Amino acid sequence: MPKIKEVFRKPRVWVLIIVVALCLLAIFPNPNNSGVIITGVLRNSSASLAGIEGPTAGTPPMFKEKIISINNVPVKTLADYYDFVDTLVVNRTFILKTNKELYRLTALPLYNITVLNETYTVNVTKPFFNETLNETVNITEQEERHKIKKEIIGVAPIGLLIGEAPTSNIRFGLDLSGGTRVLLRPEEEISQDDLSLIIENIKERLNVFGLSDIVVRPARDLSGAYFILVEIPGASKEEVRELLSQQGKFEAKIENDTVFTGGQDITFVCRSPDCSGLDPQVGCSQSGSTWGCRFRFSITLSQEAAERQAALTKNLDIITENNQQYLSKSLTLYLDNEQVDELRIGAELKGKASTDIEISGSGIGNTRQEAVENAYANMKRLQTILITGSLPVKLNIEKTDQISPVLGQEFLKNIGFVGILVIVAVGAVIFARYRNIKISGLIMMTVICEVVIILGVASVIRWNIDLSAIAGLLIAVGTGVDQKIVITNETMQKETAVFLRWKDKIKNAFFMIMGSYLTVFVAMLPLMWAGVGLLKGFAITTIIGASAGVFIARPAFAAMLEVVFKEE
Amino acid sequence: MGSKSKKEMKLRELKRLRRERRFQHRLFGKPAAEESKPEKDLKTEPAHATKSKVPRWYAVHYKPLLIVPMAILVIAIVLIAVKVATTGDFVNKGISLSGGLSVTILTDQDIDVTALQNQLETKYPNYEPSVRSLAETGTQIGITIEAAVDANDKDGIDAFLNSIQEYTGINKSEFSIEAIGSALGSSFFQQTFRAIILAFIFMSIVVFIYFRSFIPSAAIVLCAFSDIITTLAVFNLTGIKLSTAGVAAFLMLVGYSVDTDIVLTTKVLRGKQGTVLDRVITAFKTGMMMTLTTLAAAVVAFFFSPSEVIKQIMLILIIGLFADMLYTWIQNACIIRWYMDRKELKEKNA
Repeated sequence: MPKIKEVFRKPRVWVLIIVVALCLLAIFPNPNNSGVIITGVLRNSSASLAGIEGPTAGTPPMFKEKIISINNVPVKTLADYYDFVDTLVVNRTFILKTNKELYRLTALPLYNITVLNETYTVNVTKPFFNETLNETVNITEQEERHKIKKEIIGVAPIGLLIGEAPTSNIRFGLDLSGGTRVLLRPEEEISQDDLSLIIENIKERLNVFGLSDIVVRPARDLSGAYFILVEIPGASKEEVRELLSQQGKFEAKIENDTVFTGGQDITFVCRSPDCSGLDPQVGCSQSGSTWGCRFRFSITLSQEAAERQAALTKNLDIITENNQQYLSKSLTLYLDNEQVDELRIGAELKGKASTDIEISGSGIGNTRQEAVENAYANMKRLQTILITGSLPVKLNIEKTDQISPVLGQEFLKNIGFVGILVIVAVGAVIFARYRNIKISGLIMMTVICEVVIILGVASVIRWNIDLSAIAGLLIAVGTGVDQKIVITNETMQKETAVFLRWKDKIKNAFFMIMGSYLTVFVAMLPLMWAGVGLLKGFAITTIIGASAGVFIARPAFAAMLEVVFKEE
Repeated sequence: MGSKSKKEMKLRELKRLRRERRFQHRLFGKPAAEESKPEKDLKTEPAHATKSKVPRWYAVHYKPLLIVPMAILVIAIVLIAVKVATTGDFVNKGISLSGGLSVTILTDQDIDVTALQNQLETKYPNYEPSVRSLAETGTQIGITIEAAVDANDKDGIDAFLNSIQEYTGINKSEFSIEAIGSALGSSFFQQTFRAIILAFIFMSIVVFIYFRSFIPSAAIVLCAFSDIITTLAVFNLTGIKLSTAGVAAFLMLVGYSVDTDIVLTTKVLRGKQGTVLDRVITAFKTGMMMTLTTLAAAVVAFFFSPSEVIKQIMLILIIGLFADMLYTWIQNACIIRWYMDRKELKEKNA
């Protein structure tokens, strides 16, 4: 086989081989990969307390942490994991082994908390700003608190979000893997700074929700308007959609005076079960056919806000209702200018700079269960907004795409199948024409190399392969085949071109190929920005594919073809 | 022994040469006997002389053929004009270009499309719901529901989804939902439309710079234009609503249709051997092969893909590739031959 040797003497062939090898390395395919990977970690859960961290959006799929065993029992499927979780008892410690580290986790208890009528006194030391001395002094006060009864009612969730191990580093877009995509548009014009602030804030909000494997990026359309694109893989989470668009302007007012707002005025928001959850004193109640449940959680105000509250409550009257003493005006909570709740202020708080405040609200539903769930969802959202503060402007939801993972998987399976059929069909046409297995094989081989290069580059630049990218892949493969046909036909015309040397033939072919490459390239450029870049995937894949075809696969193909026909 | 193997090798070599010659013949036709004639002789031949088996009427009287593509182009323009006059738009816009809500449910459960349509229509007359069945090789694999609900109307969407869940008995977490605001939808449409025009202009500039010759370049641009217009007219006849992916398909078409024209123009303008008609025929063999491979891929993907997005892209490509054959090999080939004839005449007179 002297020809084969000669092929490997061509540097252009080596360039192709090396690039394809690098791309394969980037794709890291392993069709036999199985097991359970960690896709996210909930905050304050036993998993996060044990030091497990969720993957970020930049982690390549094949490098996400994989669970190997729990207490030396191997975990091979999602069912294995859930089976173990079902056997957990409170305070039991277990060893979770991943491919990176060993973690020691303790199952946390899930409490049901009831506030009792008995009270007890505690000494609380607080910093207090003394205006005459112009310095902060610590003052210890006695506070009366209700006794609470903690009942363990089960095991709290471990807090690991898990998924099946991927078989390659190729990231599939939402329309192929399932998930939610939301396109938000600021209601008024905003600056670049505000835009990055909003994006950081949205990321933070989603992180608080335990979602780390997300994409939040700015997008611009041809007219220069800014948009924000949020992509959340996996099953749909409706409450998330609402969280995204909410400006989250939280205000607590007494009449028309603002006492405190979300974000800076709040130094701490309690989210652990002992100081947040359903309000044990009120609970759920039914009125007519609807149920309503009240939630409450405590927050800590900044000293400044606490003093504002003291100043505003100083001159209020004390009234008595049901043997309880309240101030004459109540504290009203607003979220995005809508009233969330109205709280009576206890008489003991009159003129006092108390930093501990209890926030409450409610959730309603057709059944008790639904009302409880809604109350918890509302609480979680309110907590998130209080932690992250508000956005500089209101955002409108312009577009939502929610693709069920079932549909995505169906598409993905089918696309592999269609891809193979397409390659067979194109190969058949080429073979029917040339009746030469070497040439047909060479064309198909280089085209497959081009597909590998496109997928490899997409994995490296973390580009998601979605349906429009698949369309781009098809056009790139199509032009790739076309280019090979031009080269083959040009170099094969021996009879009519007696005076043309090999180099001239290639030059001629190259002229046509460059012409078609340049036209495709410029035709794709406007798509990078049009339509908020939703067709960017199509444009980018086409450009990567066409470039790889022209600059890497084409020279190698011409070199190999030369060897095949050299002896003529 | 040694001499025998030498003989064998010679025989094998001969066979191989014969095989390769056969292959070349298949590609470019059998060489004529006068192949060995010096190039000078060829130049003195009239431009329509050729060694290939082409009817004489095509070799000489090719110009009237131009009427066919021109007539089709005029019909296409009239069809689009009628469309604009009757509906106010030159294409049926899908919800991704006009705004609204689209719900796709994949299920093996049999759903009565008309019953669901009636139920939704009576409950939500304002939303103008329309229910379609999704089929793969004849069997229902799911349904698509479209409705005119705004993306920001969260309560409206929720109520609508709940009703679908109630009527079909399928949990709404299994729905695939696309909701788009009408303002964004129309801006999408304007922008992607503008993207096509920009792409077209960029492509024309590249073609003009590349060939530096007015009429052949203009012929390429005209061919791409005719291709898009005709494809649009035929697409409108199918009654399918255009989505953003469909717009991408039109852009693909700009690329593919220009490819074959570039092969034709390069061959004719830069080729040195044979007559103009010979060069057109070599270009035709290469170009048709390019179109046929793409067509094979598009047809397979159209019939075997369950995705509406891919189906629409492929349908537009298939229509466009057929239109491209017409415009490249009749319209563009006529124009460029005409151009070369006149050029030759001028050179002779000069």
